[in-house]
Amino acid sequence: MTGIASDTRRIVVSGMGIVSPFGVGLKTFWTGLSAGTCAIKPATLVETEGFRSRIAAEVPADVVAGLAASPRRSRADRLALAAASLALADADLDGRDRRAAALVVGAVGGGMYEAEEWYWEEARSGRPSPKIRALRSILPDSHAETLGFRLGVDGPKETLVMACASGAATLALGADLLREGVVTAALCGGVDVLTRICFMGFNALRLLDPEPCRPFDRGRRGMSIGEGAAFLVLEDAERCRARGGRAYASLLGAGMTTDAHHVTAPHPDGEGMIRAMSLALQAARVAPREVGYVNAHGTGTPQNDRTEALALCRVFGEGRVLVSSTKSLVGHAMAAAGSVEAVATVLALQHGLLPPTANLMTADPEIPFDCIASEARPAAVAVALSNSFGFGGQNVSLVFGQSGS
Amino acid sequence: MSERRRVAITGMGTVNASTTGGTEAVAGALALGRSGIRPVTAFSVDGCPSRLAAPIADETLAALTDRDRARRFSRICQLAVVACELAVRDAGVAGGTGLGIVVGSEHGDFRSSEEFALGFLRGGATGLSPMIFPNTVMNTMASVAAIAVGAKAPSVTLNQATVAGDLAIARAVMLIESGRAEAVVAGGVDEICEVVYRRLAEMRVLSPMRGGGAEGCRPYDDAHNGPVLGEGATFLVLEDLQFARARGATILAEVIDAAWGNIPVAPHRAAPRRADHGSPVGRLLRRHRQARSGFRRCYGSGNGDPALDDWECALLARELDAGRAEVSALVPPVSLAPLFGQHGGLGALRVGAAALDASRGMGPVLVHGIARGGCRAALVVGPLASSAEP
Repeated sequence: MTGIASDTRRIVVSGMGIVSPFGVGLKTFWTGLSAGTCAIKPATLVETEGFRSRIAAEVPADVVAGLAASPRRSRADRLALAAASLALADADLDGRDRRAAALVVGAVGGGMYEAEEWYWEEARSGRPSPKIRALRSILPDSHAETLGFRLGVDGPKETLVMACASGAATLALGADLLREGVVTAALCGGVDVLTRICFMGFNALRLLDPEPCRPFDRGRRGMSIGEGAAFLVLEDAERCRARGGRAYASLLGAGMTTDAHHVTAPHPDGEGMIRAMSLALQAARVAPREVGYVNAHGTGTPQNDRTEALALCRVFGEGRVLVSSTKSLVGHAMAAAGSVEAVATVLALQHGLLPPTANLMTADPEIPFDCIASEARPAAVAVALSNSFGFGGQNVSLVFGQSGS
Repeated sequence: MSERRRVAITGMGTVNASTTGGTEAVAGALALGRSGIRPVTAFSVDGCPSRLAAPIADETLAALTDRDRARRFSRICQLAVVACELAVRDAGVAGGTGLGIVVGSEHGDFRSSEEFALGFLRGGATGLSPMIFPNTVMNTMASVAAIAVGAKAPSVTLNQATVAGDLAIARAVMLIESGRAEAVVAGGVDEICEVVYRRLAEMRVLSPMRGGGAEGCRPYDDAHNGPVLGEGATFLVLEDLQFARARGATILAEVIDAAWGNIPVAPHRAAPRRADHGSPVGRLLRRHRQARSGFRRCYGSGNGDPALDDWECALLARELDAGRAEVSALVPPVSLAPLFGQHGGLGALRVGAAALDASRGMGPVLVHGIARGGCRAALVVGPLASSAEP
């Protein structure tokens, strides 16, 4: 059947690295998630005067200042280098495997934050600014260029720009490189930082909540922008076992679809979302009843949450699966969101604890699921699904299983 | 594991500085060999070190786009939609859940990004246009094209300098091989806009680069001194061979092999003496060198950037063993940059040219590309019958 990328080759997650609004590393990230801490605060990186929403989940300044990468690099490159290096170190690949790995990076903003500083300065002063150097890393592919060089990777290198589904797509397409036997390991993940254009754009579309976002709440008014970088090392399971590597979880299957309906709005029936989830489950050879947890796209916009719930009902049945949105804790990290949430999903499987949806006070009757309000929920889940949907009607669903699945 | 899916090329669509249309138009432009490079007139280039480009006339695009689309879509989105529709029509393939799309772009929609930012700088928060914002995200070209042709399988956008189109087609091949799509519209798109052109020229990365000389696109030539920007969109339709045969499609050629990799060098750098020790592209070339009597033709990504031209020739000479008589004609390879200018669709034009060669019985043909920063792609294209070879 078309759309199902599947064969007998099993793929595991053997390393993870993250820089999130909670700080650097998996432990800090998990501590924040499991405690239900909301990292959404007043924005400091961009001008907020006159905007409907003036908050964001930023990576704290002291965390960024403490990163090893040179401050001359773009903010996004620094986050990406830190997260990718952590993932590779965590996987403990030998030099040869590391060198031959694929590098699949999800990005949207690139080095736009610094390029905006240049543009703003020139536009307002009318004089040339030395900040023009920022243009050298303005494009999304600058991260892959930097990572490929700094990490010495000579496997397939590509930059996916798939809006808010970018991070998840890197895992789906990275897994295809493993399944097709092109590589035995792939470093996959996304990065994005807060930019003026992004902050202003979502404000202009009135998609940002003035308060920290409240996914699935009846009074939700939009999303909260976040930032960060998360990378995962995918590896052929046999290869990982043979070298004595650790498997956090298995990536059992991935579904990718397009709505072909509207540039910014999801298909009202969730048709593309349903297909993405169904294809991922079929590729994983998993029945919907076997899935114990869904890390939802869950942006907190009225339309997204309603449509996603509709799609979840069609795939799993009303109330048949536990659902939460970690965007309520760390904001919507755009191109990084899918890989950030993949890390959250894998950690939830590993710890037997499902992260909560923060700020969920009044359940929306149109969302007939237990959305794990406020407090993390202990649950021994064998299989979990992570959804990422983006502008352009891009839908990606990933199915993860306990490493022995 | 199931038998490997074979991938056919069944159609193409293009809008560029030299021609617009399907397979016949691409074949005609290649046969004519007339360059689309000419002086820039769309904006002032006073004080700019570069003055040439391969632009598409506004009236050409206007004739291809209805008034509603011209109002709703940015210029680069119009280019992508026109070329995708031409390709789909050329191949006679239908939209649906089996049709995917892969778009490669070098720069994306900077025109919209600048327009959106200027809205704020001129009018504050109230000056922002919610209509323009989505165009600032690079996947909007793929999004509007997917809607236009009804592509509901994966839609992928790739950002990459120099080899965006080649890379998009190689990724599309894998989407089919891995079973994610039955058919994929794949290629690349870019536009010339003043802010990008002027900044690139000022950074001296366009002809005439540092060292001067007459402005022009002269790949692999001793007098090469930088690329000339082009614009346009070119897309090919790739299909699972069984699917194409079942629907009675006209098969132009087969993609026999495709790979992409990386030679780790610093961003924006080219390293003519750096070999490719381990990437899948090097493996592909060594594999085919051993298995075949030799490629009949090689298209390269050389665009006049001296360091990049030299690097490509050195790599190919080393890996194809160009000292042998039967392959020495391949290096330097054939460049299409002098005809169409450097842009995201150029890689797709290279693969399209190879498909046309194959449709006339030539094969196998190598399409190769490398970008500053080390991203490298290669595809082997041949007539359908030649796929029986090892």
